[in-house]
Amino acid sequence: MKEEFSILNSIDELPVLAGKIEELGEKWDLPMPLTMNLNLVLEEAISNIVFYAFHDKGKHPIHIAVQNESHEIEIVIEDSGRPFDPTSKEKPDINLPAEDRPIGGLGIFLISKIMDKVEYKRENDKNILILKKKI
Amino acid sequence: MNLTKKNTNGFCILSIEGRIDTTNFNEFENEIVGIIGGGETNIILNCKGLNYISSSGLRVFLIAQKKLMALKGKLHLCEMQPTIKEIFDISGFSTIFKIFETEEEAMA
Repeated sequence: MKEEFSILNSIDELPVLAGKIEELGEKWDLPMPLTMNLNLVLEEAISNIVFYAFHDKGKHPIHIAVQNESHEIEIVIEDSGRPFDPTSKEKPDINLPAEDRPIGGLGIFLISKIMDKVEYKRENDKNILILKKKI
Repeated sequence: MNLTKKNTNGFCILSIEGRIDTTNFNEFENEIVGIIGGGETNIILNCKGLNYISSSGLRVFLIAQKKLMALKGKLHLCEMQPTIKEIFDISGFSTIFKIFETEEEAMA
């Protein structure tokens, strides 16, 4: 089973995306906490693209494919923004006390903790992020 | 996201309803920073109605914690849903916040 959709690089598109993932969760009969986590992972990945991938103020499509096969969810996110490899980001130290914890920097870390596999490729001037989780 | 406020036993209790995400964390941040700025230093965040949080929302929890620590105040969280608790666990936030089962325990 596979569903694909495109959204624009705007924060206003996030609720639209969340609605689509919720529909998918119902259609594929996924447990609610899983649907919530998939939504979270997508929000983190897409908001990074929206905030950092494009220098102009133009509208750019972001392509998202979600596949549910052989007890595995695979999400592929493609954008044509500047090269950005989220897997190369340094992991935050989650054992620091509150006063030493930096504000922010948790999004990509959450993706890596929720999903089993996170892969990044740069192909044809596109960032391709592949996220996999066994279910 | 909706925030309701009541004052009981020396605590300002804020009940959060709905989602805190990239689209509305600013609203949550402004409200809570405003409440701390208004002089409330013992705050309970009742998370019973909080059903979704992303890193943008976690960021605001950390800002509130840092502000209240600097003021020698208290920030207690309670009645968190398991899916939200899991996000707090994996981001290491469960160790930097005092999390209670019930509002009564959070006030004790």
